[in-house]
Amino acid sequence: MFISHDKIEKSAFLLTVLTVITISIGGIVEVVPLFTIETTVEKVEGVRPYSPLEQAGRDVYVREGCYTCHSQQIRALKDEVERYGHYSLAAESMYDRPFQWGSKRNGPDLARVGGKYSNDWHYAHFSHPQAMVPESLMPRYAFLATREVDVAKVARAIRANRALGAPYSDAQVANVAADMAAQADPQVDAETLQARYPKAVQASGDGRRVTEMDALVAYIQVLGTMVDFTNPAIEKLRQ
Amino acid sequence: MHEQTSDLVVGLLVLILGLVGLVMASGALDDAMYVFGLSLAGFAVVFDIGLVKRHFDRQDALRQGGGHV
Amino acid sequence: MSDLAIGTGGMAGVGGRATPAVRVVEAYNMDVVRKFTIAAMFWAVVAFLLGVVLALQLAFPIFNLGFEYTAFGRLRPVHTSAAIFAFGGSALFATSFYVVQRTCHARLFGGEALASFIFWGYQFFIVMAALSYVMGFSQSLEYAEPEWHLDIFLTIVWVAYAVVFIGTLVKRQEPHIYVANWFYLAYILTVAVLHIVNNLALPTSFFEAKSYSVFSGVQGAMIQWWYGHNAVGFFLTAAFLGMMYYFIPKQAGRPVYSYRLSVVHFWSLIFMYIWAGPHHLHYTSLPDWAQTLGMVFSIILWMPSWGGMINGLMTLSGAWDKLRTDPALRFTVTAVGFYGMSTFEGPMMSIKEVNGLAHYTDWVIGHVHSGALGWVAFVSFGAIYYLVPILWNRAGLYSVKLVAWHYWIATLGIVLYITSMWVASIMQGLMWRAYDKFGFLQYSFAESVNAMHPYYVIRMLGGVLFLAGALVMVFNLIMTARSATTLVRPARAGSTEAGAAIAVAGE
Repeated sequence: MFISHDKIEKSAFLLTVLTVITISIGGIVEVVPLFTIETTVEKVEGVRPYSPLEQAGRDVYVREGCYTCHSQQIRALKDEVERYGHYSLAAESMYDRPFQWGSKRNGPDLARVGGKYSNDWHYAHFSHPQAMVPESLMPRYAFLATREVDVAKVARAIRANRALGAPYSDAQVANVAADMAAQADPQVDAETLQARYPKAVQASGDGRRVTEMDALVAYIQVLGTMVDFTNPAIEKLRQ
Repeated sequence: MHEQTSDLVVGLLVLILGLVGLVMASGALDDAMYVFGLSLAGFAVVFDIGLVKRHFDRQDALRQGGGHV
Repeated sequence: MSDLAIGTGGMAGVGGRATPAVRVVEAYNMDVVRKFTIAAMFWAVVAFLLGVVLALQLAFPIFNLGFEYTAFGRLRPVHTSAAIFAFGGSALFATSFYVVQRTCHARLFGGEALASFIFWGYQFFIVMAALSYVMGFSQSLEYAEPEWHLDIFLTIVWVAYAVVFIGTLVKRQEPHIYVANWFYLAYILTVAVLHIVNNLALPTSFFEAKSYSVFSGVQGAMIQWWYGHNAVGFFLTAAFLGMMYYFIPKQAGRPVYSYRLSVVHFWSLIFMYIWAGPHHLHYTSLPDWAQTLGMVFSIILWMPSWGGMINGLMTLSGAWDKLRTDPALRFTVTAVGFYGMSTFEGPMMSIKEVNGLAHYTDWVIGHVHSGALGWVAFVSFGAIYYLVPILWNRAGLYSVKLVAWHYWIATLGIVLYITSMWVASIMQGLMWRAYDKFGFLQYSFAESVNAMHPYYVIRMLGGVLFLAGALVMVFNLIMTARSATTLVRPARAGSTEAGAAIAVAGE
């Protein structure tokens, strides 16, 4: 010991300072390089910030605590890749605030659930999970179909995410309400929506109001679809 | 005297917290903020009343106890 | 040694017996300790009850009721917050304030109002956080779910806690800071750092209870598990080790086994724990170098952890017979045994290959609860059983036999919980990776869920037993506080505190 422990025990100041130094080291070593090593987030194409409706759906997912039963991170293990699809890349959650990788599977992993089931399946499943999957432990979320999304809240959400680094363009910020309505209603032409948010999936709303159920479905249907894995350039996936 | 100064400081800081709570509740955009703001204001009021009560109880006791010590 | 100056009457304890208008002021601030002790037991029952509800919902999902406020996803953080912060936290506040005063021979720094603010402010935070989750407001960061406004409020309470604790250390009358206080200090400081960094977020508006984390994706994941693992490492481990280092020697009537071991154990534990976070992220998109660091340090961490266990258990050498006569000591010692078990299981689960099977399964849940029930809750029960007679000036507990009943019911509950989770989780993990003879995945995910059912029922029964034990304890403690024997301890000769009786009216 450079300083005799006797001296440390007799000084609240020394004990405090040395403790703070000791506990800071591990965190700094493990966290800082994740920001400085460029290959941490793979340079793949396709990952984009969430559209307004998808963000609203994500907010529902976060507040209902879906992460307590569902993970969104496919591990680089053979059986997992076979069951769920390509293992998750760090790039795919780069705009996820906060990340929703999850730590428990009472239900299946959702990292690549987008496009696997129809909208109708999702609406039915959210309302009464056991009707679609009898063994399911999931609670019923029928009430989501009765609650309308607050567009002003979504606009604030987009602005906050932009301030934190999500690359929303001015056009995207200006058209939050229009894009949200367009994505919720399948009768509306999706061209401008798709131009601003490639691969956005329209929900099956009734065109009169946008419900939290519509939002959640839009979010679920985009999960894992942004990056094209049919022609992976292997070098790009290396961390 | 020491005790009384620190108690006063705590009382004032809690009062400020209570006012912050009122402001938050007044402009609350969702239920959680509304409930939190009002509850914080309520907490501050009850807590500070408790401090005041304790102060005067202590004074009373000293006056009474003075004869016994 | 006493903490009571002779005054003009008895204590107005819980249940308020013959209260004269005048109350004796103690040399130490034991009022805040009493309050936190009551809070700890109250929240223990709440936390265990919520645990049973969640277990019921997983065994029989109909009990989610289809109602937004009672769904598993919203209730789960209420349970984890109640167990860790409300129950665990209150027990730590109670014991740290007790231990720091007694070992420093100094009254709590900062005055009565500040101590009172810490108590009531913390209770306020707990209630507000629980309410917010049920109402549908959460940051969805495990063990850091409260939104930004509550995080700030908690920071204020925590800063007050640090000021009071460190201030008391500074004004101590004893030259040396006792080992228990090193651990309490480390936990207070580290939790502050963890809390502030992990909760860095931008609110959408000053008037909205919604924020977005500064960190995203893989960096957010690393920071969350740096936080999450050290919430366990410091809040649930280092701090409770502080508790152990005071209460085992006291209850056993022996000094701590080895001073040198406590020095080595302390510094190596607090250094190494911090690195263990990545073992929550094995095989994910966290870079391999970080996963390896996490794994290696988690395995090495086994050593300082067992150092602490050895130090605690060996303190009983020469006093093992006390385990027959003192059921409260049994809790504390069994706690150290479970601590040893959990800190062996943890490093094992941190090995990547093992983790490949364990991650996302109920093994993690089983591991958490062997630590939470076996170590954290048991060492708290042991300390509280020891403290209550002292704090309420009674000669002893109402019933020693009930303590033994509690011990056996609770231990059986823990055994049912962890064994059911071990069996369930290994089965779950193996089912997920099973291939049939054609080379296809053998089981659908739903089939693995179905297979869990009987174990979830057993786990729920384990939780019910644990809750029942806690209710027995609450009954015993209430009867103790209400009991007739009131002990007035003589004032300590040469007390350096303001030992003269200052009578305080009311209360």
